[in-house]
Amino acid sequence: MQIKNTLFLLMIVLSSMSIAQKKYNSILLENGFLHVGNGQTIETALVGIKSGKIVLVKNALAYTYKKEDWDTIIDLKGQHIYPGFVAPNCILGLSEIESVRATNDFDEVGTFNPHVRAQIAFNTESKVVSTVKTNGILITQSTPRGGIISGSSAVMFTDGWNWEDATIKAEDGIHLNWPRSIEYKGKKNENYESQKIEINHFFENAKTYALANEVEKSDFRLEAMKNCFVGQKRVYIHANHLQQILDIIDFVKKFNLKYPVIVGGYDSYLTTQKLRDAAIPVMLLRTHSLPENDEDPVNLPYQLPFLLQQGGVKFCIQNEGDMEAMNARNIPFLAGTAMAYGLTEEQAIQSISLNSCEILGISTSFGSIEEGKNATLFISEGNALDMRTNNVVLAFINGQFISLSNSQTDLYEKYSKKLKH
Amino acid sequence: MEESVVSYYLFENATIIVSPTKTIDKGSILIKGNEIIEIGTTITAPANTVVIDCKGKTIVAAFIETYTNVGLPEPSSPEFSFQPQMESSKKGAYYWNEAIHPETDPSLIYTINSKANDELVKMGFGIAVTHVQDGVSRGTGALISLGFTNENEQLIQPNIASYYSFKSGVSNQTYPSSQMGSIALLRQAFYDLQWYAHATKKDLNLSLDALDRQKHLPMIFATDEKWEVLRAAKIGDEFNIPFIIMGSGNEYAAINQIKNLKNHLIIPINFPAPYDVKNPLIIKDIPLADLKNWELAPSNPVILKENKVNFSISSFGNKNEEEFWKNLHKAIARGLSVSDALNALTLEPAKLLKIDHQFGTLEKGKKASFMIYDSNPFSNEAKLLEAWLLGQRKTYHTQPTHDITGKYNMLLNGKQYPFEITNNGGKIQLKLTSIKSNRDEKSGLIRKDTLYPVVFLQLLENDLTLQFNLEDDFFKGSVNLHAKVNSKLGIFEGDGFLPNGKWIQWSAIRNEKLETKTSDKSVQIENFKPNIWFPNMAYGLDSVPQKETIAFINATVWTNEKDSVLNNATVIVTNGIIVFVGEGFHPIPLNAKIIDAKGKYLTSGIIDEHSHIAISKGVNEFGQASSAEVSIGDVLNPDDISIYRQLAGGVTAAQLLHGSANPIGGQSALIKLKWGHSADELLIPNAPKFIKFALGENVKQSNFGDFNTTRFPQTRMGVEQVYYDAFNRALAYQTAWKHFKKLGEGQHSHHIHKDLELEVLSEILNGERFITCHSYVQSEILMLMKVADSMNFKINTFTHILEGYKVADKMAERGIAGSTFADWWAYKYEVNDAIPYNAKMMMDQGVVVAINSDDAEMGRRLNQEAAKSVKYGGMSELDAWKMVTLNPAIILHLDAKMGSVKIGKDADLVLWSENPLSVTAKVEYTIVDGEILYSLEQDEALQAKNEAEKGRIISKMLESTENGEAPKPFVKKRKRFFHCDTEGENGSSEENCH
Repeated sequence: MQIKNTLFLLMIVLSSMSIAQKKYNSILLENGFLHVGNGQTIETALVGIKSGKIVLVKNALAYTYKKEDWDTIIDLKGQHIYPGFVAPNCILGLSEIESVRATNDFDEVGTFNPHVRAQIAFNTESKVVSTVKTNGILITQSTPRGGIISGSSAVMFTDGWNWEDATIKAEDGIHLNWPRSIEYKGKKNENYESQKIEINHFFENAKTYALANEVEKSDFRLEAMKNCFVGQKRVYIHANHLQQILDIIDFVKKFNLKYPVIVGGYDSYLTTQKLRDAAIPVMLLRTHSLPENDEDPVNLPYQLPFLLQQGGVKFCIQNEGDMEAMNARNIPFLAGTAMAYGLTEEQAIQSISLNSCEILGISTSFGSIEEGKNATLFISEGNALDMRTNNVVLAFINGQFISLSNSQTDLYEKYSKKLKH
Repeated sequence: MEESVVSYYLFENATIIVSPTKTIDKGSILIKGNEIIEIGTTITAPANTVVIDCKGKTIVAAFIETYTNVGLPEPSSPEFSFQPQMESSKKGAYYWNEAIHPETDPSLIYTINSKANDELVKMGFGIAVTHVQDGVSRGTGALISLGFTNENEQLIQPNIASYYSFKSGVSNQTYPSSQMGSIALLRQAFYDLQWYAHATKKDLNLSLDALDRQKHLPMIFATDEKWEVLRAAKIGDEFNIPFIIMGSGNEYAAINQIKNLKNHLIIPINFPAPYDVKNPLIIKDIPLADLKNWELAPSNPVILKENKVNFSISSFGNKNEEEFWKNLHKAIARGLSVSDALNALTLEPAKLLKIDHQFGTLEKGKKASFMIYDSNPFSNEAKLLEAWLLGQRKTYHTQPTHDITGKYNMLLNGKQYPFEITNNGGKIQLKLTSIKSNRDEKSGLIRKDTLYPVVFLQLLENDLTLQFNLEDDFFKGSVNLHAKVNSKLGIFEGDGFLPNGKWIQWSAIRNEKLETKTSDKSVQIENFKPNIWFPNMAYGLDSVPQKETIAFINATVWTNEKDSVLNNATVIVTNGIIVFVGEGFHPIPLNAKIIDAKGKYLTSGIIDEHSHIAISKGVNEFGQASSAEVSIGDVLNPDDISIYRQLAGGVTAAQLLHGSANPIGGQSALIKLKWGHSADELLIPNAPKFIKFALGENVKQSNFGDFNTTRFPQTRMGVEQVYYDAFNRALAYQTAWKHFKKLGEGQHSHHIHKDLELEVLSEILNGERFITCHSYVQSEILMLMKVADSMNFKINTFTHILEGYKVADKMAERGIAGSTFADWWAYKYEVNDAIPYNAKMMMDQGVVVAINSDDAEMGRRLNQEAAKSVKYGGMSELDAWKMVTLNPAIILHLDAKMGSVKIGKDADLVLWSENPLSVTAKVEYTIVDGEILYSLEQDEALQAKNEAEKGRIISKMLESTENGEAPKPFVKKRKRFFHCDTEGENGSSEENCH
């Protein structure tokens, strides 16, 4: 990497700070390989950043710029520029050490908790978050768990002073855990029908409340549901089995939900046409997972992104599961693996950037490197979807440099020194 | 008053199935009291003989049930507490562990349960051995007759056999908590007995006294699964006990191994019911293994027979006589001969129990326990008419002696009603005709409709009752009639009520006689060829895989040797060994399968140093702080789909480790991923011995809930002392043995107590067993190194070792290897300082480093995990690759045979589509010992085969339910995977706290 002198000094200062104190008013990234995030690439690109926005995206070979227009110019020859990757549907920031109860803030008591908000529990000082951003994940959907409706998630930057300034979108959606159709806690779920009815009743109440001109007494639960019917609040419905997915398609129609999302969607590949027709996008389960049934194709989870791409279903990749907070840093490699099973490199990138932002409802400002969008992006020395070459050397949130050190790099340096003696 | 009995009964004109090999067509049996006096074709009966005509009937010896708890109470659990119960709660001079209770003597608590007896008798059983189905050593069984009089008469012999199992039962004692723990516990009990039987100085132990008395009894071992049969047999071999093994019904799927056993089996015939297969969304989730077992289970008996395995049949698992006979007929339809079926129900169990001088056949001098059927029950759907149990009669069915079939004319209060009685294979039906006149509204004409009201008919001897509803020209309402039957004349005469409540006399006269139809209920032999896969489930192979001669040409080879990378190379494999590795042209054996690897990468197979796949019923024996006596090798499960999936990820060998729930865990199994082979064939021959140790939060039970606070240790301080204590005991044990061995010949008596735990710890002290220690933080790592230094043993590997980078210099000094995760952290407090640079930092200090999985999912992409060290710390690609191949081979002391592509080493090879560290690399071939166990091409074929097989069996299942088999609903079981801290036998899909 060739960095101009002024910047090189600056980097040293940056490494010890979270958000740089000094504001950079105009930054030009030149000659990097640009992965736009929407499937496009520019091999030798110019990306200009001013006041937190991307103001210029051009092919460097066909565009002449004036040096004096930029106070910082960084030459990225041989390096790759990516839009900030996204970790949707994650307890990141809500959990520090999974086995230590005191550090867990993602699962509230109760069955219908749409009023419970992840945003205000998001810990920007989390050590775990700091190790995730350093692999290029700059946006996360901080998501509660548990109950039937777990609560409202929030879309957050993975760097910030506090939850307030880390917020991209508060209460972006509620999370509905669809009952399991086949089994529940290892037994046949005899109550599937009644559980569906229970959900329907809640939604009927919520919809009536939402559409009413006036209500006698405000209800926080129903209030939190309101924008699912009259606004842009998403309804994230967590489900994997075909029976569930088919029922959800009906449910979405019945309540005329404008922004439904299926989260998980193991069986979604079996019904792509219906999902496409119903315009229901899927946040695909962690693709580094085992097939559900013995006879499923051994590599089925790896193939799912391609199968949805082929079926024309809008999807993104998430990583809910064991140790999901710390594992969020491996999301680029989930997308990378999908490349071996049919996705093109740019489709793979899109599945963890623009697609995610579209599903989250933030794509007008995030998810791709296009003029007018928010400058949340990063530079990697090599292919960021490959473990060997994902090496983030610069990252911007809101057009500002963020620190790329974390507790792990600190320990690395500290003990490297010790071992050298 | 005493019951009045005559002296003799003579059963004549019967078909007598004397024994499995002999039948008398028109024979007679003479019995007196409970004994058979004479059997033959011409018997002269003494004067005071009741003669019973058995014309057309079949007499069969009473079956003998060897696996039941009839007449015994269900074992109930002692008081439960959430606090772990370390000691036995049983008061008295008994064994230290509650699961070992050979002193249980069911004869002391046996009471006749008429209903339960009835169920068995209706199936044809007259004799049973009943035992309390609880615990590892369950006590004895009592021989009973299934009669109904009183216990004094029915209890034939207490303590006729003894019973064992792998299950600790209702005991709440923490140990054993796994099947391997049960195995170790039982073995230790037998060793304790060897010592106890001869020791002169000992405390009284009533359990061992009881076990000693049972040594010469038939010993019956209950199992739940085919591989458990082999496990039970293996314990028997160790102690020279020819266990009789109660199987589970899927032994056919391990027939190649089971046929080599000398053990006698008892097999259930509770064949699985078909699933309800109407909903495709549900069919989708039914595992092929279940479907295949449904189809094949009825062939289990005949397959065992064809392979010369001796077995008895138990009624275990059959709800009633209908189910039992239906299943027995299925087994016969699949080719089990009637004589073999009979033998398995009578003579064979009689011989096993050494009661064949009294039971098992119908011979002079034997006991009068037999059943009389209306036809041969093995080849027909027969009815049990009478059971004779030790000479006592119980009637179940009487054959109607009155044939009332025919066309009749009934006179009911002066009105005529014709009817017809038919007999269809014993089912008597009456078709009544009544006439109703209706006026047609349009034409005004009268139309006469013929009605056939439903008639309830019952005939008991010559008592006939009829009930029907009429709605015709004469009556409206219910008619209830009774009559005495004169079947010879064809006349019914009797009384009854009309709808108006009027009491009338009525009669009917037969005009014409009809034939009684005998429906064909004979058992048809099926033309069925069993199609058993290896293993018998999805992705199973048609036959056990064989070694092939294979030549890879034009390959890029990462050898892991000095030449490191070869281009355009040829690698040749024969007999499971690599015989050639080199660049350029080399003559290829004629019979070789040639694989063109142009543009592809050939490497040695991945070795997972830390895995928990292919283990059944418990990865942790957490019942005690030290469980060195347990061994993963005892409980291998070759049917785990994880084996196949990991082959698809290029894994060829693994160390299957005990979990991390105690400071001294159990012994490892070093296996190759030989899909399609048996449990024993997974084990690497002559592999070095390993044991798992563990430190930190898991062993001090930090994350096991608030009740688990009483087992020592609860702190890292305590963990250290567990080791000192254990090795101190081991040293004392060694000294005792040394002293013992110094004694001359003849002075030896068995007064040294063999202790399985201390045997294993001694192996460590002697340098014969290597330690793999689960570890996280530097304090505990340093502690164990110091304990080892001071007690003079070596630590081979620290596994997990996430703070290894802090003490890598100290590990290197001692030559201790590190096997770690690429980037895991933050799942518990002790991994707060874990960093992904760890592998590289340890390697830089000279530690041999491996990357392992500890996880069935990650195990199939260890190439990607290794690649992370290129990112974190800048390791070279070839070094990174060695962390999942050569280095684990070195760590496991297997590098003479594995870990690199070198002439003479095992042919464990993987062909990758590209650089194996690439995120897009795919496995194209995985070869283990020269057997192609995975390839893209074969995988596709197997998937197609899975689908076709599923479709075929589902159709068959549907057909069977259409033919009247009662279907059961499918309930999906969530697949569970073991991790380091998984407790219990069933695994858990809960949090992954490694």
